[in-house]
Amino acid sequence: MAKEMIAMLLAGGQGSRLYALTQKLAKPAVPFGGKYRIIDFPLSNCVNSGIDTVGILTQYQPLVLNEYIGNGQPWDLDRLYGGVHVLPPYQQASGSDWYKGTANAIYQNISFIERYNPQYVIILSGDQICKQDYSDFLKFHKEKGAEFSVAVMEVPWDEASRFGLMVADENDKITEFQEKPKNPKSNLASMGIYIFNWDILKKYLIEDEADENSENDFGNNIIPNLLRDGRNMYAYHFDGYWKDVGTISSLWEANMEVLDPEHSGINLFDENWKIYSRNSGMTGHKISCDAVVENSMITDGCRIEGTVKHSILFAGVKVEPGAVVEDAVVMGGTTIKAGAEVKHCIIAENVVIGANAVVGAMPTDTEKGVATVGSGIYIGDNAKIGPNAMVNNNVKGGEEQW
Amino acid sequence: MVNSNANALGILFPNSYDSLVPELVGERLMASIPFAGRYRMVDFMLSSMVNCGIDNVSLIVRKNYHSLMDHLGSGREWDLTRKNGGLNIVPPFAEKTVKVYNGRVEALSSILDFLKDQKQQYVVMADTNIAVNFDFNSMISEHIESGADVSIAYAKEEIPVSARQATSPNRGLYYTLRVEEGDVKEIYINPKDEGIQNFSMNIYVVGREFLIQQIHDAFVKGYSYFERDIVAPQLGKLNVHGFLYDGYLARISDMKSYFDENMKLLDNTNLDALFDPSPIYTKIRDDNPTRYILGAKVKNVMAADGCVIEGEVENSVLFRGVKIAKGAKVKNCVLMQDTVVEEGASAEYLITDKNVKITSGKEVKGTDTFPVYVAKYQVV
Repeated sequence: MAKEMIAMLLAGGQGSRLYALTQKLAKPAVPFGGKYRIIDFPLSNCVNSGIDTVGILTQYQPLVLNEYIGNGQPWDLDRLYGGVHVLPPYQQASGSDWYKGTANAIYQNISFIERYNPQYVIILSGDQICKQDYSDFLKFHKEKGAEFSVAVMEVPWDEASRFGLMVADENDKITEFQEKPKNPKSNLASMGIYIFNWDILKKYLIEDEADENSENDFGNNIIPNLLRDGRNMYAYHFDGYWKDVGTISSLWEANMEVLDPEHSGINLFDENWKIYSRNSGMTGHKISCDAVVENSMITDGCRIEGTVKHSILFAGVKVEPGAVVEDAVVMGGTTIKAGAEVKHCIIAENVVIGANAVVGAMPTDTEKGVATVGSGIYIGDNAKIGPNAMVNNNVKGGEEQW
Repeated sequence: MVNSNANALGILFPNSYDSLVPELVGERLMASIPFAGRYRMVDFMLSSMVNCGIDNVSLIVRKNYHSLMDHLGSGREWDLTRKNGGLNIVPPFAEKTVKVYNGRVEALSSILDFLKDQKQQYVVMADTNIAVNFDFNSMISEHIESGADVSIAYAKEEIPVSARQATSPNRGLYYTLRVEEGDVKEIYINPKDEGIQNFSMNIYVVGREFLIQQIHDAFVKGYSYFERDIVAPQLGKLNVHGFLYDGYLARISDMKSYFDENMKLLDNTNLDALFDPSPIYTKIRDDNPTRYILGAKVKNVMAADGCVIEGEVENSVLFRGVKIAKGAKVKNCVLMQDTVVEEGASAEYLITDKNVKITSGKEVKGTDTFPVYVAKYQVV
């Protein structure tokens, strides 16, 4: 039985610009929004769009991601035929290779795709926060009679040169592709989400693999080749919330935007488009008599005895009496001891912030850094972590790191 | 074969003590009464069994069990989707000549053939009116060491006032024990004594073969109740062991105790005592985290995921998806799933069932000795 469309999710990114947060896990596994990980967004989008077969291409630090995905049950992707499959590089009779580029990753899994004999393949990226209906995208692809479609966002003209840009005519047909150009001719930025007719994709993957000079990358090789051959290529306009959370500041910002769904556009409270995740299984959270909680998101297992303002707390975070958490993203299992001040920062999982320690600072005109503490780190009592610090190693009591 | 499982199967009686909280079981049964923010009563016994390696659990239901079926599904959340054993819901077998069962004897006799086919040496049985993180393994080992025919778990508790004052026999049977050096010497049925008693938790460990024999004999004689008709009359003949449970437990014996036991969990010591020993599993709802909007004032509150809080909340337990609008005041309340308290409304000493709406500006008040209950889907 053929599937109409299956999804291939590129999740091999190291996310090196997230530094301390991606030392032990791949970028798609980075926690987000109180109880999610980044990969929950594309996976939930798939299920909500009716896609029941997803291949996840992993390469960098896959352990956390593998365990998290498991059999795919939390996303309803445990299926008899299809479902979610984690696809690391593997050894074949002809030899073995790491995934050399995004296109090569798909190339090495042609046989996986062929098992489902799909008409269309959607290529997704595992590092974006976005709620998107891929079935609407497919409808567009079919209506245009396209062989390739790419989802694009309009970006401000002065920022356009940071993106891969699609130049399209009035029928949305793509005429040119500019990768981070100095003089942009368009402000339609590629979101890195593509729909291909499978026969076309397969042909170009094989051709690309044969080209020794190719970087085996969709943006640099496959798309230019499609253009060269005058294929039917269309740009699908998406105007919902979309955020690439590839940097500490964009990750922090996207988390903060969750606190203001009325204005920011990312609404996790949408009954019709739920974001699924693997559950912590902890009991309800508890806010004590003397605690202050303002404008925050708090989830299961949290115990709040201090002050929490404009922050996102993940499962099992403990805030002891007198501690102050403000403008902060605090990931699961972290304890903030009495009197500590945690401000304008990202604290990863299972961190201990010692009593009266200070981490980060509210931004000033000159200083806007987001302090970051990696997972499992111990920050000693009375230690001080500056607003630009990136903490990868334990900090002893009373010490400072800037 | 490596065996990490207990050599016991579990049987739960989800309808036991339904009559104690008629309001709450209008459209459900004791086992599916929501408790502690995100759980149902059945989750506690079920999780305790699973955590002790009991992965063959039967629930013998009697009536109103739709909500329980919905909650349990295939048993996946409790890791009970097993090829061997797993979750087994036994509905009443509809026959013209057979009435729906009353006591445990009739209930068990309906699954005698099933019991004969099982491999486990022991059977643990429990009701679902007690929320407890119970260590069945230590009870089973004590049962084996003592060489008892039957073990009964009991706790040092007072008999609830409502039970002592009850005049109608319809409230069901409860038992206290006289225990000497671990041996149960006497079982008192529906006693009215004041002060701390050896209050039976109705948790039993028995040999499977022994149980089959006893149930068979009792059914033939037309007996209904396991404790009253089998164990109590045979105390001289059988070796009946008392297992003292001295940990935390929350017993639902009337509306007041339902309210109080929820409220007691606002104390971290109690909350930890109930949840820390081992995890309690429940159905996943995929709610977003709870959102506290600017202007919310929260003091001493336990809340599950999916709530949106903009008003004032004090000393309350909020279940999943509760919405408290701007200017609303909630104090000393237990608000079940998806309760909505609209702008400017005020609620005090209230138990709201699922999907209740307190409309704008309304004031609803109970008292500390008599919390007001608002039924499912009601709009105030």
